[in-house]
Amino acid sequence: MIILEGKKVTKRFGGLVAVNAVDFELRKGEILGMIGPNGAGKTTLINMISGFYPADEGSILFNNEDITRLKSSDINRKGICRTFQIVRIFPKLTIADNVRSALVDRKSRSPWKVVLDSLLKSNKKQSTQGIEEKAADLLNLVGLYDFRHELAENLPYAYTKRLEIARSLATNPEVLLLDEPTSGMNPKEQNDQIDLIHTINEQGISIIIIEHVMRVIMSISDRLMVLHYGEKIADGVPKTIYSDPKVIEAYLGGEAHVEH
Amino acid sequence: MVCLDGEEIMNNKSVRYGSIIIGLAVLVLLPIVITDRYIQHIMVLAGIYVLLAISWNFLAGFAGQLNLGHAAFFGIGAYASALISMHLHISPWLGLLLGGFIAAIFGGLLGIPSFRLSGPFLAITTIGFSEIMRMIAMNWVGLTRGSLGLYGIPPLTPIRFGEDRAIEFVTEASAYYVILLLVFAVVYFIRKLHRSEFGISVESLREDELGAESIGINTSQYKLAVFVISAFIAGTAGAFYAHYVGLISPNMLSLGITFSIITMVMVGGLGTITGPIIGAVVLTSLSEGLRFVEDAINLDIRMIIYGIILILVILFMRQGLIGVFGGFSRYFNQKPEASR
Repeated sequence: MIILEGKKVTKRFGGLVAVNAVDFELRKGEILGMIGPNGAGKTTLINMISGFYPADEGSILFNNEDITRLKSSDINRKGICRTFQIVRIFPKLTIADNVRSALVDRKSRSPWKVVLDSLLKSNKKQSTQGIEEKAADLLNLVGLYDFRHELAENLPYAYTKRLEIARSLATNPEVLLLDEPTSGMNPKEQNDQIDLIHTINEQGISIIIIEHVMRVIMSISDRLMVLHYGEKIADGVPKTIYSDPKVIEAYLGGEAHVEH
Repeated sequence: MVCLDGEEIMNNKSVRYGSIIIGLAVLVLLPIVITDRYIQHIMVLAGIYVLLAISWNFLAGFAGQLNLGHAAFFGIGAYASALISMHLHISPWLGLLLGGFIAAIFGGLLGIPSFRLSGPFLAITTIGFSEIMRMIAMNWVGLTRGSLGLYGIPPLTPIRFGEDRAIEFVTEASAYYVILLLVFAVVYFIRKLHRSEFGISVESLREDELGAESIGINTSQYKLAVFVISAFIAGTAGAFYAHYVGLISPNMLSLGITFSIITMVMVGGLGTITGPIIGAVVLTSLSEGLRFVEDAINLDIRMIIYGIILILVILFMRQGLIGVFGGFSRYFNQKPEASR
């Protein structure tokens, strides 16, 4: 079953075509890896799926519903959550509050309903059932429970990536978009991150992951999709992609950017 | 069951409630002990500035929206309530609410540019807004009497019990109790909002707007809500001021007033609940003290002093007086877990 589908998705920045008529599909429960040299349009594609850039052409369907024109916050409320290449955590909030902020029930309530509830209901009653337990579970999952009272800005970089993932999971997504979740990590931390992503996937969450580190992407993806200058040049299981002449050309013929 | 904050909640509950009750008693008894009407007047002004400082801090400190035109809400509330009670003969008590509502509408209007603007660009827009409002107050002579200002604004009407008993609101002491009540109400609700789901959403968008959007926070709507609530409080403060002093002028909407409010919040502690309260009380007292110096040397020295204080606070005391007190109390209450 296809959970997320893009049809002829296109984005232009001035004269530059960043993403050119890309078709893609994500099956339920799958981990789809997205690779390609720098500037290939991977992050732009994620930005369009998550509503941070409007697509110029084409359409994006989530559970057969057109989400192309939705605001980013509404796309999250539908069930798609993303992380960022350069993390966007809340530095002056505690680790626990970073996760709590995402546990607020926004799917069934408009912002103004949240305002009214906050004003009129007692703070204990209004919070979503079991919010503290869920926050504790998520922090345990990413291994940050012991630091929960620390400000997020005090975390080492690798941990901020994990905090961002915990925060994303708090919104209870069906699809998770991970933009370079292991960048800036040492091999041990990369392995932990791979395990975490597998664990998340086993809970039934479908994942699109952008990654430059070949070792990571090969070990993690069910299927791979290769972008080059905004166009999709290959799509298939990792083994066939690895030997695809077009892919080798893109990586070794242009700017070589393969990290082993 | 795992819980995140269990151990902290029990932290000296009785001591905290005890000190709150003693504080309340002192505040209520103050006008009985201090009978000097001039000092009582300063206490009322301090209360008004407390409301202004809290409302500005709600925008800037909690939501990160730098509003440099806050005095406009103060002025709009004052003019709205004054004009309504003078021309439509509506009770000034209702005027307090109406002044707040009308300011809230303008707050909503000013909130709209914040969807797309932030930081210095939003700040410039808010200055423009407040100057436009001041110009309207100056030049719409038919309605506002221009720079002469409005005078003869009816005071808060007496509350009657039966035929012959009534509480009058002509003395400074009675006005003090009204503003005290308003301050209590506002502090209660702001504190509640700060700790609520709305509060954490607002702080998230202050920290990182895109990050907030990514977890489903509709940042535009939340910013709009913050502007509306903040303007409502400032507008109510303005309406109270109008009926208390009985005379208002376009000066209320000047950048100088906004600047005073900002200094108060910065001195007390940006982004805290008690900081703006302390800052407003300290600086209102200081500024009235300086009035005597001003009279003696015949120079408007207050704004100079405010400016110097603001610069010093930002350079050396970024967390304000609250940061200084917090440092002390952390030193005395240090828990083993807190030290890393």
